[in-house]
Amino acid sequence: MIPDNKIELHIPSVMGYEKIAMETAASMAKRMGFTEDRIEDLKTAVAEACINAIEHGNEMDSSTKVAITLTAEESKLQVTVKDEGKGMGKTSSPSIVSKIEGKDKTRGWGIFLIKSLMNEVKFEPSAEGGNVVKMIIYLEK
Amino acid sequence: MTNRDVEISISKKNDVSIINIKGDVTANTGEAIENAYQKVSTDGAEKILLYFDKDGYINSGGIAVLIGIASESAKKKQTIRITGLSSHFQKIFHMVGLTKYTAIFPSEESALNGF
Repeated sequence: MIPDNKIELHIPSVMGYEKIAMETAASMAKRMGFTEDRIEDLKTAVAEACINAIEHGNEMDSSTKVAITLTAEESKLQVTVKDEGKGMGKTSSPSIVSKIEGKDKTRGWGIFLIKSLMNEVKFEPSAEGGNVVKMIIYLEK
Repeated sequence: MTNRDVEISISKKNDVSIINIKGDVTANTGEAIENAYQKVSTDGAEKILLYFDKDGYINSGGIAVLIGIASESAKKKQTIRITGLSSHFQKIFHMVGLTKYTAIFPSEESALNGF
């Protein structure tokens, strides 16, 4: 039985489906009383984590799923995003100067955005195989 | 431009080429945005205004496309300005450093003023 403070969803590894996870996270955050600004931050972070899972973790294999779990606690919302694969996006800090000068690919902002927008972020292998991103956003009183 | 997640149109005001982007800005819609930029560049645009949709969805894939356009415009000595972004995505553009290369304006009028 899933406790009533937890929501789980599974989306196919198809670009665009991250929007469902974004909106679900936004609805939960709104219920908890997060500000509009922080809800937008959460939506972007959830989108980027899902995109990473779809593209790098599950390599866009539409037969695989990305599992998103949202757990509401009194002062925070935890979001975990889990893929089934082996790969993960780059974790190095991107440099726009390098990208503008053509020394680096223009992509690679997802993890940077997640870390910048969430209060806590952890990347770790999943016990069931694959990768999991754990993000926490604090509810500011 | 046919991509059901984005609608792109091009217009001109004086010597400024305006690329209107309504909808998603992602790796998926990037080609349509890039094509619009190439079209105005081919037509000789030196001043380009990217007019976004306040309610549009922008992700890191889309940001990468915009960085590519900023990079190319720098080589071509074009000036790009941006308007129409929500306050959230103005923040995101600032965080990734795009505002070092393209200025963001609160309205079309302010973006065109003194361009």
